[in-house]
This record gives sequence, C-alpha cells and structure tokens, in this order.
Amino acid sequence: MASSSSSPAPMIAERRGIPAATFVEDVETYLTQLGLDVNSSLSFLQERLQQYRLVEMKLLAQQRDLQAKIPDIEKCLDIVATLQAKKGTGEALTADFEVSEGIYSRASIKDTDSVCLWLGANVMLEYSCEEANALLQKNLENAKASLEVLVADLQFLRDQVTITQVTIARVYNWDVHQRRIKQSA
Amino acid sequence: MQQCGGSETEVTWEDQQNINRFGRLNNRFHELEDEIKIAKETNENLEDASNELILSDETVVRFQIGEVFAHMPKEEVEERLEMMIGKASEELKRLEEERKFVDALMTELKKILYGKFKDSINLEED
Repeated sequence: MASSSSSPAPMIAERRGIPAATFVEDVETYLTQLGLDVNSSLSFLQERLQQYRLVEMKLLAQQRDLQAKIPDIEKCLDIVATLQAKKGTGEALTADFEVSEGIYSRASIKDTDSVCLWLGANVMLEYSCEEANALLQKNLENAKASLEVLVADLQFLRDQVTITQVTIARVYNWDVHQRRIKQSA
Repeated sequence: MQQCGGSETEVTWEDQQNINRFGRLNNRFHELEDEIKIAKETNENLEDASNELILSDETVVRFQIGEVFAHMPKEEVEERLEMMIGKASEELKRLEEERKFVDALMTELKKILYGKFKDSINLEED
C-alpha cells in the first residue's frame, strides 16, 4: 500500500480540493519569478503548511471514524450469520443481552426470518436475514472503499507537506548561503 | 525528520520524490508498529480465552457475538475460537512481513539519499 506510484509521476495540480505543492527546481528562479523576497516566501510556505496540517487533521478524524465503523459492520454480519445458521435447526438461540448499562436479560430467539437494522436518523427497518446480510455486505464494501480513497488522499497530502517542508529548508539555506557570499565578498 | 543542512546540494524532482517516498514509508512503518501491537494483544486474548475454556467444565458457554452473549455449547465455542486464532495469527504474520518489507525499502532509500546529501539530510527519528 505504501509504495504505490513509484514511477516518476507527473505533477498533479490538485487532488480532491487539496492543492498540490509546486516543486521548486531552483530557488533563485523561483523567488524572482514570483517577485518575492526570502521572508515573504517563507511565510507564504509556512502558511501553506499550516493549511495542510489542518486538512490532515480532518482526514485523520475521518479515517478513525471509518476504521471504527468497519469492525462494527463485521460484528453485525457475524450475528446475522449466527441467526441464519440457527434457522431451521429447531433450536432457539439463547442470548443474554444488555437492557440498560450493566443490566442483562435473557432472550430466546427461535426460527427468526428477519432482523431489524438501525439505519440511523431514528429509523429502523425490518429485513429478512438474506436482505440484511446483503445490505450489511454492501455497507462494508463501501466503508472499505472510502477508507482506501481516504488513505490515498492522506498520502497525497503528506507528499505535499514533505515538498513544502523541503522547499522551506531550501529557501532558508539559499538565503544563508547568499549572505555568506555577500559577507566574504 | 527531513531537513537539509547548510550546504548547497541541488535538489532535483527525483530527489524530492525519493524523500516523499521515504516519508510515506516512515508513516506506514509507524502505522504498522501500532497495528502489530494491537494484533499481538488480540492474539494473546484469544489464546487466554481458549486456555480458560480448556480448564472450565461448563458445557454451555456465553460467547459474545455483536452486542449479545449467545449461549453456545462448549465445542462450538472451541471451534469458533480456533478459527479466530487462525485468522488473528495470520493477520499478525502478514503485518510483520509488511513491516520487514517497508523497513528494507527504507534502508534502500536511506542509502540513496545519504549518498547524495551526506549529512545535509537527517532521516533518523528524534
């Protein structure tokens, strides 16, 4: 996952609203082209870096949410599969369930054809086990796909952060170097 | 992590891409360390559960599926645990292999980058 796109990729202008950092071939040309002095270019780059950091935090929060969601869906699938397996055996599924925090009651679920899925926004819908299974599978796939996109977004973003950091260091070094030349002259 | 020192080595787009790649790998490496830690814990917990089960003489065990504790015959729980342990240890192996792979790639990149930038670049932690 980490080492994809290893070929010298062409520079992309942006990805999902995140602007790409431009790679600076030569610091002096870069500064004269933009008509910036060292300090204003440094503060521009620092500001960019801050913005990238902000987006990074947002994306990381989204990533955490998705990473928590996936095991939740898997748990749901597990229990639906258990119910399905019990069906037709004539046996009931005896289960202890929490009625309130720390308080449990016992349920006996016999030959059930359906489960109710909480869809969110105060809506719950009854599904046959097969349908519930299909729906949950689809949700799981969607969550995994979004996570993949998100990881790619984060990688892109981190590349931009790295480029910006390197550019800052190079502009800074270039400035130090110029001063030294001036001093020794 | 990556800061260039005072000297005047030219940085090409290729170098920049290598630095980016190193950054990505380093990130992944840390993610993997966390994931491996969690996977190890899961493994230990499952092993513990399975050992406890051997010692217990209950015929019906409560096994958590989703949010509820299902009453299940001991043999079935043993089977399920066996499967979960198999899956968990496979996952752990996969993660450790990826870590080894990432580490090797990072060593390669370090050679290239240190070769070009000498001590103007620092790729170590802290």
